[in-house]
Amino acid sequence: MLPKRGEPPVNDGLKVVLGRRYRFAASHRLHTEKLSEEENFRVFGKCNNPYGHGHNYVVEIHVSGPVDLATGMIVNLAELDQFVEREVLEPLDHKSLNEDVQAFRTTVPTTENLCKEIYRRLKEFPLAKVERVRIEETCNNAFEYAGSRNCGP
Amino acid sequence: MDGKIKGMVYLTRKIEFSASHLYHNPALSDEENRRIFGKCNNPHGHGHNYTLEVTVEGEPDPVTGMVLDLKELKTILEREIMERMDHRFLNYEVQELKGQIPTCENIARVVWKLLEPKITQGRLHKVRLYESADIFAECYQNGANRQ
Repeated sequence: MLPKRGEPPVNDGLKVVLGRRYRFAASHRLHTEKLSEEENFRVFGKCNNPYGHGHNYVVEIHVSGPVDLATGMIVNLAELDQFVEREVLEPLDHKSLNEDVQAFRTTVPTTENLCKEIYRRLKEFPLAKVERVRIEETCNNAFEYAGSRNCGP
Repeated sequence: MDGKIKGMVYLTRKIEFSASHLYHNPALSDEENRRIFGKCNNPHGHGHNYTLEVTVEGEPDPVTGMVLDLKELKTILEREIMERMDHRFLNYEVQELKGQIPTCENIARVVWKLLEPKITQGRLHKVRLYESADIFAECYQNGANRQ
């Protein structure tokens, strides 16, 4: 028999994580004022091209929490989607990360730093715990960040 | 290479199955069901092609070099998962999901509980179940080590 909402969740020593993939497109230029022009070019190569370049980013968000017995869900996907849309996709999609995103006015917009920035934007999500942010910059490069913890299984 | 290098190896096998389901909780009103579950509440159900990734951890056997025989894992997955879930209506035909909403989260947990006692060489490390390319759920032991 299925319960109404608010029943205590099952505690069987298992952890359940929900993963959801989103996509956005943005441009960036890898460049830091802490290095000379020559050093920037040596370190970042063609990613230092002054006019920047773009990627189709795939962002995978992993959230955890008790599974509500009444709904079978950690969190309703519609509510997660709405939060990610507002905090991540709307501010980043079809933008220049260097020019349009405050955090990258002073930090190099590598995908490592982008993972941390997106994690920072999502960690206040009130309905589930954000475990991990994984970004595929291209189909050959992927980056993951899980806050101060190691990434886990 | 010999047995002198210690440490866990993680082996993953993938299977695909197709099944139908619907989300409906009779303890809630029809209106609440529609609000919470949206189009997943369609009374006649709908289906997905599920992809299941099963990861087993262990130290390779010094003689065979295997964590477990993949043929054996294939047989376990065929018997425990494919026969139970492939081309089934999850709400009505899978005993282990009775009394639960067959979400990705709940199916992943059921899959873990079905497989964990059957894997006797190595140890079940993680299951990941994709409902579509962009939605998945994982289940593993609380506090599991980094892979």
